[in-house]
Amino acid sequence: MREYKIVVLGSGGVGKSALTVQFVQGIFVEKYDPTIEDSYRKQVEVDGQQCMLEILDTAGTEQFTAMRDLYMKNGQGFVLVYSITAQSTFNDLQDLREQILRVKDTNDVPMVLVGNKCDLDAERVVGKQQGANLANHFNCVFMETSAKAKISVNEVFYDLVRQINKKSPKEVNKPRSRKHICRLL
Amino acid sequence: MLVRGCAGGELRHSLSEKTKALAAKCHALRSPAREQRGTERRRTRQRKSQTRWYVKQPTWRLWGEERVDGAIYTVYLKKVRYHRPTRCASSESDDEISHLEWETVRVRFVKAGTVDRLVEALATDDGELESTYVNVFLATYRSFAECSKVLDLLLGRYETLAADDVLSTGTENSQQHRKTLVACLHVWLDTYPEDFRQPPHHPALQQLLTFTQIHLPGSELHSKVLQKLAIFSAERNGSVGGSGVSLAPGMRLPAHHTISYRLPHVPHRHFAEQLTRMDMELFKKLVPHQCLGAIWSRRDKDRSHDAATVLATVNQFNAVSFRVISTVLVEPILKPLERADILAAWLDIARELRVLKNFSSLKAIISGLQSNPVYRLRKTWALLNKEKAELFEELARIFSEDNNRWAQRELLMREGTAKFADTVGENDRQLQKLLHERGSPGVSHGTIPYLGTFLTDLTMIDTAIPDTVADGLINFDKRRKEFEVLAQIKLLQGAANAYHLPTDPMFDRWFDSVIILDDREAYQLSCQIEPQTNAPKERRPKKNENNNGHRKNDSIASTSSSNSSQFYCETDGVGTWKRDSLERRSSPTRLSHGSSSSSIPSLDVSLSSANSGPKQLNGKVANSPAHPTRNGPDFYIIRVTYESDCVETEGVVLYKSIMLSNNERTPQVIRNSMLKLNLDGDPDGYTLAQVLPEREMVLPANANVYYAVNTAYNLNFILRPRRPETDVVVNGKTKNKRA
Ligand SMILES: Nc1nc2c(ncn2[C@@H]2O[C@H](COP(=O)(O)OP(=O)(O)OP(=O)(O)O)[C@@H](O)[C@H]2O)c(=O)[nH]1
Ligand SMILES: [Mg+2]
Repeated sequence: MREYKIVVLGSGGVGKSALTVQFVQGIFVEKYDPTIEDSYRKQVEVDGQQCMLEILDTAGTEQFTAMRDLYMKNGQGFVLVYSITAQSTFNDLQDLREQILRVKDTNDVPMVLVGNKCDLDAERVVGKQQGANLANHFNCVFMETSAKAKISVNEVFYDLVRQINKKSPKEVNKPRSRKHICRLL
Repeated sequence: MLVRGCAGGELRHSLSEKTKALAAKCHALRSPAREQRGTERRRTRQRKSQTRWYVKQPTWRLWGEERVDGAIYTVYLKKVRYHRPTRCASSESDDEISHLEWETVRVRFVKAGTVDRLVEALATDDGELESTYVNVFLATYRSFAECSKVLDLLLGRYETLAADDVLSTGTENSQQHRKTLVACLHVWLDTYPEDFRQPPHHPALQQLLTFTQIHLPGSELHSKVLQKLAIFSAERNGSVGGSGVSLAPGMRLPAHHTISYRLPHVPHRHFAEQLTRMDMELFKKLVPHQCLGAIWSRRDKDRSHDAATVLATVNQFNAVSFRVISTVLVEPILKPLERADILAAWLDIARELRVLKNFSSLKAIISGLQSNPVYRLRKTWALLNKEKAELFEELARIFSEDNNRWAQRELLMREGTAKFADTVGENDRQLQKLLHERGSPGVSHGTIPYLGTFLTDLTMIDTAIPDTVADGLINFDKRRKEFEVLAQIKLLQGAANAYHLPTDPMFDRWFDSVIILDDREAYQLSCQIEPQTNAPKERRPKKNENNNGHRKNDSIASTSSSNSSQFYCETDGVGTWKRDSLERRSSPTRLSHGSSSSSIPSLDVSLSSANSGPKQLNGKVANSPAHPTRNGPDFYIIRVTYESDCVETEGVVLYKSIMLSNNERTPQVIRNSMLKLNLDGDPDGYTLAQVLPEREMVLPANANVYYAVNTAYNLNFILRPRRPETDVVVNGKTKNKRA
């Protein structure tokens, strides 16, 4: 079975953990407990193929951002999350994306831009079009989601799997040798 | 941390070198082979030429392990290079052509073995005395064998060798071997006479007497045995107290008469000297091997006399702390200013203790001042003048738990056996001033360490390293590690002899007269002096209760509970998906901060990993090159995996990361893990273990986890529900929870 290494990035409190836990365990976490670094594993079927997803839920909190380089090196696909209720979280993504491209040293990185908390439409400050424009600029897929209302949560991860498949279709089921890892890096 | 000593030839080598150096300082062995040891084949040649050649830093290489029946050895190849000190006159040119440049020799260290094998190893293959080994063995054997057993084996071995000689099957070696065994007996009798006391009949000594009568009549050993016997029986007849440990002064009968000292108006220096005199008497009587984890921390009631000298020290420490608490609180009607004067008086005494290098009573006073009933008296503390408040902070900093009590260890190492107290931090203004005022003191004096540090180290060694290895062989490497700590203690005991302090009976009377409050009484009195307010007791900021939001919150920063604003986290090994590939630093770079520091092994190891592994964040540069070790990490980030029997059908949590700050103990860390992992219930219902390459280390029930973790490896932990029927088993022994 092929493994996919996915990293969820974004500012603090945008709902990275909520999205991840909703996807992995099917529950909504109401409590806000800032993440340091959590890792999950989930098996899913995408387009008739079994996939093992390893998802790294990262810290939005500033203090821990030094670890990002390492996440980015190891990740194959990225979920960039902002909250539609906070402009600053949207603005922060530009830098994040640049960092990913820098670390990966390529322009073609599987990525999904996610505007979370779309159930809170009354508090919306980032318009849907704004998000779509940014995705355009990033040349990546855009979705609005709600971890709470279970809107488009699975789609985010499925789309990422497809992107990774498209980018490197044959990379299936290789033994985890040291060489393999080096190549990945 | 501590267990890591087993791996890595480099480290192993330097440890044994240190052991040797310490051993050399601690015991002057009257032995034929005083400093040269090992199994060098060409020893004789070397000896002959020693006047002209000297051996320059041998290089060691771990060669491997060697197994024989009943023992495992670690084998090193040592390259020894010979240099001429000066160029010699040409007349010796023949020598120059033919001289030995270098040679490679094999050196074996016993890693593990049966008791028989360990006794055999007291002499090398050549029959020479292995002085380091002998010292380690004699200091630690009690944790794996009885005195009588060891004596039997030792004497038995001698007799076998002697019998061989009679049949003239013996070699030259065997005679040397016998000499060595006799030398061991000498060291044993001289260093650990208590082993032979065994009242009333002194069976071991009797056995030794019979032996010397047969094999070595009229020898030095023979007369030594007779002399010891005479001393013991004289003591018995004179009915001098058994182990020679007096009760802690606090337990003496209180005096009813007039009390002539009364805080705060007491001579500070004199008080400090008197406390030091009390500590010194106990410290000199301390039997180092009673501090061993196996003995001290596992003492049960009927075996408490095995650690009597340790207990006496601990009792004295507590007695001093109690006196601080009591004198501050016992008179509720004092004016705040008067009470502040008492605090100030204790600080002045503490300051003098610092000059006297008495870290035991110093720590006891600081602990008393930091105890909740005293520490909570905010209004009283606020009345201290700025200098005193600073002094308190500076003194308290010496014992801060930060970074594995780095400050205190550093001090002990720098000043432990030095004559004068002259080490202060550059920020310690009050202490600098003090040393400046005093200039170079005219009298030199000793050192009294705070024993707790050593006890913790030894307990950790005992918990982290198994007693036996494969096939039940005694893990002698563990004993070597223990010995390094014991040797430190011995070294300091030697230094304590430098104190010359007269006894003041009036002081003893005062000491005994102080009323001791129990925790509840102390707290009640404290509340009477300054009533409780509703403000949270906790002085340190707690984790913010952030409910939602996009605010870049700083709650993580605030949980690190430290006044330092530097943040560290373990990034080495965060290569998350490399976890299974077990790629690890083979050994973290050692930091050298002066050669003197290399003598505390656990410190070295933990410091080095703290500095080489974690990177600080926020781009702040924490470690200026001048002080490479000053700022350790405020916390580590550890990964906790929850393991239960239930099979998850949905996705699974591989791990969650939590912060581990520097004085969290096991229950707290388990609680934090449970919170992060959304587990309910009683933390006591779970165990936490660090995953090491070959095994797991279950954390003791109340360990300081920050200190207990093995930072040489990735900080991966497993949380599991405790199985109801089984007890916590560490090292194959059932342990009771210690509170
Ligand atoms: N209404 C609503 N609330 C959400 C949604 N997603 C997350 N939240 C809430 O937002 C808060 C923060 O969510 P988290 O998932 O912990 O945020 P995070 O991005 O992981 O934050 P860091 O770990 O600090 O980086 C929590 O109280 C969540 O319950 C959503 O889709 N709708
Ligand atoms: Mg989170």
